[in-house]
Amino acid sequence: MAVRELTIEPITRIEGHLGAHVKIDTDARKITDAYVYSPMFRGFEIILVGREPSEAIMITQRSCGVCPVPHAYSSAMAVDQTYKVSPPPMAVALRVLVHGAEQLYDAEVGVVNLEGCDYSETLVKKFNPDWWEEAEKANAERVDIHGYEKISDIMRALNPFTGELYVQSLLIQKAGHNMAAIFGAKHPHVHSFVPGGISKANLSPSDFEAYLTLLMRHIAFSKKLVAATDDLLDFVLKQGYEDVGTREANLFSVGAYDAPEQYSAEYSDIGKFGKARLVSPGVILNGELVTTDLVEINVGVREFIGRGWYENDWEQEFSTDPLGNKIEREHPWNKRTKPKPGKYGDWTGAYSWVTASRWFKGGKSHVVELGPLARMWVTAKAGLVPESTGNSLRFELPASPIPGFFAEKLELEWKIPEKPNAVERIRARAYYLAYTAYCMLKMVGSALELLKAGKTEVWTEYERPKEGMGFGAVEAMRGACMHWCVMKNGKIHNYQYHAPSTWNLSCRDPEGQPGPVEDALLQTPVTEAGDVDGWKGIDVVRTVRSFDPCLGCAVHVHVGNKVVRHKLLPYPSNF
Amino acid sequence: MSVSGTINLIWLEGQDCAGCTISTKQASNPTLIDVLVGTIPALGEIRLVFHPTLMPDWGEDAAKVLVDAADGKYDPFVLVLEGAIPDESKAVGGVFCVVGEVGERILKLEDVVRDLSKRCAAAVALGSCASFGGIPHGSPNPTGARGLLDFLGKDWKSGLGLPVVCVPGCPPRPDNIIQALGSLVLVARGVTPVPELDEWHRPKFLYGYTAHELCPICGFYAEGKDAHAFGELGCLGGIGCKGIITNCNASTSWTDGYGGCTRTGVPCFGCADPNFPDPPTSPFFAKAPAMAFVKETFAGNWGHFKMGLARLKRRKI
Ligand code: SF4
Ligand code: SF4
Repeated sequence: MAVRELTIEPITRIEGHLGAHVKIDTDARKITDAYVYSPMFRGFEIILVGREPSEAIMITQRSCGVCPVPHAYSSAMAVDQTYKVSPPPMAVALRVLVHGAEQLYDAEVGVVNLEGCDYSETLVKKFNPDWWEEAEKANAERVDIHGYEKISDIMRALNPFTGELYVQSLLIQKAGHNMAAIFGAKHPHVHSFVPGGISKANLSPSDFEAYLTLLMRHIAFSKKLVAATDDLLDFVLKQGYEDVGTREANLFSVGAYDAPEQYSAEYSDIGKFGKARLVSPGVILNGELVTTDLVEINVGVREFIGRGWYENDWEQEFSTDPLGNKIEREHPWNKRTKPKPGKYGDWTGAYSWVTASRWFKGGKSHVVELGPLARMWVTAKAGLVPESTGNSLRFELPASPIPGFFAEKLELEWKIPEKPNAVERIRARAYYLAYTAYCMLKMVGSALELLKAGKTEVWTEYERPKEGMGFGAVEAMRGACMHWCVMKNGKIHNYQYHAPSTWNLSCRDPEGQPGPVEDALLQTPVTEAGDVDGWKGIDVVRTVRSFDPCLGCAVHVHVGNKVVRHKLLPYPSNF
Repeated sequence: MSVSGTINLIWLEGQDCAGCTISTKQASNPTLIDVLVGTIPALGEIRLVFHPTLMPDWGEDAAKVLVDAADGKYDPFVLVLEGAIPDESKAVGGVFCVVGEVGERILKLEDVVRDLSKRCAAAVALGSCASFGGIPHGSPNPTGARGLLDFLGKDWKSGLGLPVVCVPGCPPRPDNIIQALGSLVLVARGVTPVPELDEWHRPKFLYGYTAHELCPICGFYAEGKDAHAFGELGCLGGIGCKGIITNCNASTSWTDGYGGCTRTGVPCFGCADPNFPDPPTSPFFAKAPAMAFVKETFAGNWGHFKMGLARLKRRKI
């Protein structure tokens, strides 16, 4: 067999620094070996040790400018528990509204500006010219909704910087940032999340009016985008693309969009309020839903050094979680990480700044995938929300009379696909945009009810305690975002956090199992036209981008061991 | 100084989070699309030839732009850096930040910045990380991160004879970014004078005042009304506001009139300050150094006294 090795670095149009090294069997046109890695390190957790836990809410957001709010949310949840201070319901609603606003823009940027480009006229003509010929003939079924006659028109609309969808998406995204800024002061990096609530002064009905006005634009745009994505991706699947980026259905979600009256700062409550989330938490192993309990989900987490550039020497500090459930040495409440820079491009040794996170059940370690596909799948299967049918998620978007867009109300149904693959990951992201818009509409309703009932407090006063620990988790656009805080003497003793890419982009674990993206690349067929030596790896980057990687977060999440103490200048911090 | 023809933008991401890019995308006056498609005649043709988060190319095709630029193929170009520059000598046996690979050559950020700084028409540090080190530079600075100002030095001059221009903020306000970049292009086109910079190399027209001076709720401060809890309307100085020591205009609003730190009720915690995230900006809920308030109280009382006198004087107009 003839083998071509291909290193792609940088993989652009993702957040952060990412490279991939693949081996391709050029006769069979299949990928036979794959390594993904991150070549950038900042040391966030080292910077966090010795600070006040409340600072983590601001600092951890800054690991990712594309999706800061899930960090703010998870961190605030972990710190609420650490400080034992439950925010009032209105504060929860406002946190959710800020989070949802970000998810809207983030879905659009992912589906259109980052991943969509790979299926644009420019790139398709270059890499899959045979598709282009077909696309010019193929009618787009949902033309009534999105307005594009042919599939080739959709592809043209995705052209970078000039295509209609590309530009429209950029413009509409501003509405997402603006919505986040109404209750978050700014975005990216919202400044209003504080332990015990949110610092939004002068809350008034007009804040919600402004939010709703902008939300309606997203609703209008999401109808168009879902329809166009459906047509485009159905076409791509017909070209024989279902095996690109495919893997077994091993999926992981922590859920999102809390019910304002249910959320609390008690760790013992997370199982209960997790189930009340509008997006359900849960783990699916080989197609079977095995749990929807956030406590069980947390307890099963283990982060191995694997083939990452870190030392593997730390002592186990806790043997159980606060409820007495056993946790392992590799659980993030115990884990410490010391960076150990290693040789670049050593595929037999350590090769990445990303570690290997796995989920344990039944004494086995599972390589689970995170992202909109995972959480839509879990939510559709779990039956915890009325929209869940067991094999689909069905919901209705209201009329949205925005000039230039489809105005009628529209029922959407996202169906669980046969298997995860590159195409289905993108489709799920588009539907998640619509589902989020739908959920935010509900959430504004809940907030207005609170307003009517006079429950307008946004903060619960507290006094900084000395000891505590907490676990916070919520879904970021690209998958679960989890934070673990341990406080001693009023300062952070250990802080660990996982971004979705900590899991998706993880390296080989101690058992040698490849991470989810590596796994998805293995056996992926190569459809790229042209001669072997000229291959640029379009199928590789389409697979990698279908996970919407965010390397910024994935590698900045390592705590220093105790030797690297914080040397803050002497400062009267009680003032 | 007048460059006709195309001006290229080479936008590097170092130890960053892409937040400055996301902020740029929100700018309104003008928008990013306005700049790139040429809506504004005076700006002329601007091409974004390298940007890791936005560019269509990847792998070697992308990385090669950097090598070619160092050879002069993209002259004239403006170098934009987002994110801090780690000290690779501290990554013993490994790497902290690689931006690409060409053939066998591994492009470390440090080397790319050094090479491109020799040719660029102007160099802009976007955000607190690129300006002063920002979060990666936070104590104990595990990777030896530093900003462009430190890396190239305060005396460094670009092809157009300009020093490093810093646009701090975490991220900077959207319009600050686009207006700082735009002003440099206009300088290169010979349309406007060189913007005046302060001692931290920040354009004075954007960073000349503190968040406190521009604060929309400063009236509460003047009246002596403090907020005692988050969510309460009043001056936030008692619950951690660092607006009094931070040069930033984002207290007013974020973009399109939405948000804004103190305007929303959020204490400024100095994310645009050269010391961020270390003291005196941290701990974020700690009050700003007492001296700042003492000085201002004295100046304020004296000022109020003079204002009182002025209001008692006979009107001339
Ligand atoms: S201290 Fe802060 S909130 Fe108070 S007036 Fe100054 S900037 Fe505004
Ligand atoms: S926190 Fe302060 S420095 Fe940062 S954006 Fe807000 S006003 Fe500006």
